[in-house]
Amino acid sequence: MATKLRTFTRNKILKILSFSLVVILITASSLQWFYLHNRNINPEVLFVQDYDQSETYHRKVSQGIRDTINQIVYDIEKILPEPEYLYYVSDGEKAYYNASLSHILDHEKYLYKYVDQSWEYGEHTYNNIQYYFDENLSLYLTFTEEYMEQKQQEWEDEKTQLLPIVISIFTSITVAILLIIYLILVTGRKPEDDEVHLTPYMDMMYSDIQLGIMIFPLMISYSEYNMVRNYGNSHSSNVLGMDQILVIILSAFTTIISTIILGVILLSLVRKIKAKRLIKHSLVYAIFSGISKFIRSFFDDSRFEHFPLTKSLDRRQLIFTSASGVMVFTSFIFLLSTRSLFIGMIPVFIEAIIIYWYFNENRKTFKEINQGFQASLQEQMKSERMKVDLITNVSHDLKTPLTSIISYVDLLSKEDLPESAKDYVNILADKSGRLKNIVSDLFDLAKSTSGSLPLDMKHLDLKKLIQQTLGDMEDEIEKSGISIKESLSATPVYIYSDGKKLYRVFQNIIGNALKYSMQGTRIFIDMKIDNNIVEVTIKNTASYPMDFTAEEILQRFTRGDEARTSEGSGLGLSIAESFTWASGGRFQVEIDGDQFKVILKFPVNGVELVSGPE
Amino acid sequence: MVNERILVVDDDREIAGAIEKLLIMEGYEVIKAYNGMEALDVLISNVVHLIILDIMMPRLDGLSTMMKIRDSKNIPIILLSAKSEDSDKILGLSMGADDYITKPFNPQELVARVRSQLRRYLQLGDKDCANSTSKHVVGGLCLDSDKAELTVDGDPVKLTAKEFKILEFLIKNAGCVFSAEQIYERVWQETAYSVENTVMVHIRRIREKIEINPKEPKYLKVVWGIGYKIENIY
Repeated sequence: MATKLRTFTRNKILKILSFSLVVILITASSLQWFYLHNRNINPEVLFVQDYDQSETYHRKVSQGIRDTINQIVYDIEKILPEPEYLYYVSDGEKAYYNASLSHILDHEKYLYKYVDQSWEYGEHTYNNIQYYFDENLSLYLTFTEEYMEQKQQEWEDEKTQLLPIVISIFTSITVAILLIIYLILVTGRKPEDDEVHLTPYMDMMYSDIQLGIMIFPLMISYSEYNMVRNYGNSHSSNVLGMDQILVIILSAFTTIISTIILGVILLSLVRKIKAKRLIKHSLVYAIFSGISKFIRSFFDDSRFEHFPLTKSLDRRQLIFTSASGVMVFTSFIFLLSTRSLFIGMIPVFIEAIIIYWYFNENRKTFKEINQGFQASLQEQMKSERMKVDLITNVSHDLKTPLTSIISYVDLLSKEDLPESAKDYVNILADKSGRLKNIVSDLFDLAKSTSGSLPLDMKHLDLKKLIQQTLGDMEDEIEKSGISIKESLSATPVYIYSDGKKLYRVFQNIIGNALKYSMQGTRIFIDMKIDNNIVEVTIKNTASYPMDFTAEEILQRFTRGDEARTSEGSGLGLSIAESFTWASGGRFQVEIDGDQFKVILKFPVNGVELVSGPE
Repeated sequence: MVNERILVVDDDREIAGAIEKLLIMEGYEVIKAYNGMEALDVLISNVVHLIILDIMMPRLDGLSTMMKIRDSKNIPIILLSAKSEDSDKILGLSMGADDYITKPFNPQELVARVRSQLRRYLQLGDKDCANSTSKHVVGGLCLDSDKAELTVDGDPVKLTAKEFKILEFLIKNAGCVFSAEQIYERVWQETAYSVENTVMVHIRRIREKIEINPKEPKYLKVVWGIGYKIENIY
């Protein structure tokens, strides 16, 4: 039951409906209120039964008394507008009136009479006039019974008109308030759980900005209210004019928009309060927390955690700066309060000691840092040298026995051996030859990746180098039955690199492409220059499914075909990659379906101007 | 005729032994030594026509041994080393070696290089190819412009007309690098247009005819991305 109720009350549709209803109700009640103002209906009719008891009537009488007295005192020709009452006023010498005294006295039911500095009232009058005048001034003021009856009738008519509107306004507002309370209770809740859910976008806005935005609809509503009030006061007809209708429509429109904006922001703020994020999610908080984080970062030395020397430097710097700041401040205070130069100098002495301490300690730390740096540099150089030595020694230790093997296999092949033994010797010769290639490639690669590869950098023409490589490999290309389609730049492309290494690079890449291309396909060598970078792409169609990634193929000993039967060390691409990087280029492999693509990039023109052949 | 005598110096006895047998099969006489000191001792009491010298050896290494030998003798020395860097080769050759072979070596190549060095030392030194304006000599290459003949270590090599012209041009300007266009215009007497491949193919063919190991040429070298040259060897 409770769950059902929860599911129902937290339903999104219900929420939207209630929100719309709130908007409609508030707009409707404000419209009715505007209407009342425009119609100039007096709300007093609701509270006072009879016209002659009303504050309105009382004001009219007071106004009448003031007008008539003013007329006699200042000798005003005529009272404007034409009075609705009958009066006679005299100061003993002259008199003003709009009816004869006897006619006035006929209507004594509503008579106000001022003679000999005291008021006399008729039976249906408002008996509490506070005005007092000269002794010889006399005043008679009354309303006819017909006039009063008509007024009473109008009074009652207005009441019957006003009452339903007022009741409707009050019910609208009451219902709207109840709905708002409902919305406040359920906003941010979902039927599924009891968590507070913030709405995207709306609740991302900072709280204080939301509050700021709320001011605009409130201001608009207020000016709207003023405008309508002024309009209402200047008109007093029973029928609304065209301009009044326009104003009402306009105000209805702005009321709807203001209500929606206010409602949405209010509910967003409520959600934030529920989620306890109202303050945290405000611009002011964000700014202050940013500032405090910034200040705290000064005192945070966790980033020097593993560097005790720099940590002590950092701390000392902090102490020095703050102590100096304090000293400057105290010296200022001392000087101001004592006006004695001697006492004012005390912080200066202390500051001098601080400076001495700071420099002395720092110098020690710097020394330690330098020693550590020096030691690590030597360590690094030593390990670098050891690495190179290791490669050289291992190389020697592998090559020496291999030399014996190859030599004796060769001698063996010249002996007079039985057929089967000759076959074995051939296999030995073949395999030892391959082992020789692998060892040689392996050490080239090891040297190159360890950075100990000697380079012979020159300005050379990359286009020429590719053509030379193709010419050098012509036999191989013809034998493979695969043709090469080259589209090189028309002009020389000078780069700064090691030609012999680059020849190895292209030889390996093209050799690879020849070995692993599908029969009948072509190898494409394209060259393009963009932004001072020359890009050479060697593209071929593989004759086998390439179920490896570009990274895998560059790994040592990875071969395109899983069965390692054919000749070659499997290091070709790795050497090409390593040599390219060593000689100042970039190497990249892309695999797209059956397309195998190697992309080489070099900066054009190297560092200096090109000089011709040496 | 007395067989040429070769001194093989290597601290690895098996390698020294293999080289010995290899050379004996080729008809040479061989003396072995296992370090630099022994080699120097052998040289005192024997006449030797060529030395194969390993670089990395105990007691006295190959380079020091070579310098000591060069003080008194002019016999050809072939260095043998596991160090394969260009810089190592250049160092060895500049210190007085006549050739440089990296381990592991191809036995046939070793034999060919030994034969080449011996021929130059024993035959070319006193006859042939000398004192003639029409003849140009670079190392073991001897090019006769008049007769349009080329010999490598005394052996005549057949070249096509174009090959000969290319080689003649390069040998006459030994040590200089020429681009394919320059070579083409000189040899073909035509305007060079997209000739890189043509020239390169010719260069490769020439290399196959004159070099012992065309993959590691001694004379005709490609300067990658720039051009071609004949190494200036005396």
